[in-house]
Amino acid sequence: MNSMWTVMSFTMRNKIRNKSFIITTVILGIVLVVGANVPSFINKFASGGGPTKVGYVAGEQGSIVQGLEAYFGKQEKPDVSLVPVEASGSAEDRTAALKQAIADKKIKGYLLFADNPEAGFPDVTYYSKKMLDTGTSEALQTALRTVKTEQAVRDAKLTKEQLSKLFDPVKLEAVQISDEATGKTAEEQGTAIGLTYAILILLFMSVMITGQLIATEITSEKSSRVMEIIVTSVSPLKQMFGKVIGTFLVGLIQLAVLVGAAVANLMLPQNVESLKSFGIRLDTINPKMIVFAVFFYLAGFFLYAMLFAAVGSIVSRTEDLGQAVMPVTMLSLAGFYIALFSLSHPDSPLVVVCSYIPFFSPFIMFLRIGLANPAWWEIALSVGILLASVLILGWLSAKIYRAGVLMYGKRPSVKDLMKAMKAFNV
Amino acid sequence: MKPLVVEKVVKHYGDKTAVNGIGLEVAEGEIYGLLGANGAGKTTTMRMVLGLIMPDQGSIRYFGKPYGQEQLRMLGYLPEERGMYPKIRVSDQIIYLGQLRGMKRKDADDNLKRWLERFEISEYYNKKVEELSKGNQQKIQFIAAVIHRPRILILDEAFSGLDPVNVELLKSTVKELRDAGTSILFSTHRMEHVEELCRNITIMHRSNPVLQGSIKEIKSRFPQERVVLAADRPVEGLEQIPGVLGMTRHENGGYELKVRTPDVAQQVLRHALVQGPVRRFELLEPTLNEIFIRTVGDRHE
Repeated sequence: MNSMWTVMSFTMRNKIRNKSFIITTVILGIVLVVGANVPSFINKFASGGGPTKVGYVAGEQGSIVQGLEAYFGKQEKPDVSLVPVEASGSAEDRTAALKQAIADKKIKGYLLFADNPEAGFPDVTYYSKKMLDTGTSEALQTALRTVKTEQAVRDAKLTKEQLSKLFDPVKLEAVQISDEATGKTAEEQGTAIGLTYAILILLFMSVMITGQLIATEITSEKSSRVMEIIVTSVSPLKQMFGKVIGTFLVGLIQLAVLVGAAVANLMLPQNVESLKSFGIRLDTINPKMIVFAVFFYLAGFFLYAMLFAAVGSIVSRTEDLGQAVMPVTMLSLAGFYIALFSLSHPDSPLVVVCSYIPFFSPFIMFLRIGLANPAWWEIALSVGILLASVLILGWLSAKIYRAGVLMYGKRPSVKDLMKAMKAFNV
Repeated sequence: MKPLVVEKVVKHYGDKTAVNGIGLEVAEGEIYGLLGANGAGKTTTMRMVLGLIMPDQGSIRYFGKPYGQEQLRMLGYLPEERGMYPKIRVSDQIIYLGQLRGMKRKDADDNLKRWLERFEISEYYNKKVEELSKGNQQKIQFIAAVIHRPRILILDEAFSGLDPVNVELLKSTVKELRDAGTSILFSTHRMEHVEELCRNITIMHRSNPVLQGSIKEIKSRFPQERVVLAADRPVEGLEQIPGVLGMTRHENGGYELKVRTPDVAQQVLRHALVQGPVRRFELLEPTLNEIFIRTVGDRHE
């Protein structure tokens, strides 16, 4: 126990003092802080600049233009303001005058009307230099529909009651059904999706970064031949677990710094607002989710860390490591992507099956718990399989590690490894 | 109770036998030489002594006890392939290695400082290993092997890659450790070091121990058949004497002859005296080098 502690603290001390580690953490922190503020930045920029100026030929379609102006005038922050442009003569002359107005920066775009007697309302075309100016055209469409409805209503001479019947919006609220007394509201669902997404990314990143770190560390110890001295001083098992736990704690410190920075920034008032507009409210996070998040994070981390340690112990040169860890990387990538693509349908058969497969379950069972409400026995089964595989893999990795650390030369095959295990009597 | 007793140890790697029935005993304050060509099984033997590999048959006892966690602590190991953490400071890694062998931090630190002073490299305490010259890295490696005052020390090719000054320095350190009672298992290809340091040796060849015993006794097993002769004037006709098997002439006027039996040497002396005064005459046993080559080389066919 004592020497495991020594290995652990030595690993931690060297990692934390490492310059590249500090720089990576700082850069990631900055990225996260910026990322957390992006939604509110976008909101600011989008609403900035005032309404879009849209021109029309002065005197044309007076009633519609009046209706539009009345509609936009009622808005708190109007999307569009209408600007009359003096133009006369043929269609070409009028278009030329409007284009000139754009060139003079008086307007951003213009409206042209074409009579459509069948509909009783002219066809309207919005001309704009900007591509995909959907914001403005949507605003115009809504406004035009309102104007048209008002005209029609006026023509039909409806009573107030009839009007309110017509215009009152339909109420539809989506509530997820679950075993618990109260289902999840849309807001809670949004938060759950957001949280699941965040935890998935965190788990994946930790596994990749920390796992690679462990493998690299072990391989470099092997290639610099320090291993021979270390192995004679302390049992390989203690060494491996000391290293894995040490690196894990360093990863955790890094994670705490990063998550802390992100959460602190998300708590800022302007960011809470913009998160709310995406349907995410941090105060609706279910504490049960946090417990599961921590559990699956730990289990997933150790499962992959053991694998990375075993692979690192087999390889004797750092150059060969990238190739050797590829299968492990692929495995975690598969789990991560299955989870990501299943965010929108967390109850598909694929997800259900994968939530019992140990290498995928940290990602996918968490997804199910967050979004699909699996039965308690399903959770228990998945957790049981996961814990059992962590133990089995830990035991197997320790064996591979014991045999692997003293094997040099080309990367051994499974057969070589079995032979070595027998030779080393492990 | 001998500090280290290896008894009839056998090790197979698959169908290949790496070590076939080696047995040796190292007393307190003794340096035991383990010799052999490359691939003869020396490193495997040492690794078994270190507990890195378990023997298939036979036993290894440390002060009468089998291998265990406590035994680890009294072993020191200088591997053939040197290895340290290149990017970590000397003090950090030596203290770490000392701690792994059960030392207190403070104790390891004091010991390290004493050793650095002994090797006159105190200024490297805070340097990273990769900044050191190869010779100094070797010294650090040596300190790593002895930092915890091991009672059994295993030195695999201890002096390879060092300049003569540093070889002497390390050699005298090894002798000091021996005189302080450390039992040392020592492997090298440099026979003169073995002759200087070791009391008993084992020569291994293709996994088998082929020659074993004290150097004195081994040498006496080989006939005295080497004659060194030096005279003021050149001596003619030495090759014609019956029983002389070969002769080499040294640049500075000396001769080295190989004779069939020791009495042939007397004839050589008489023959030389007839031609003039003899400055030097010596009848010698074979060097360890010759014994080694004869033992190992002869069986190469």
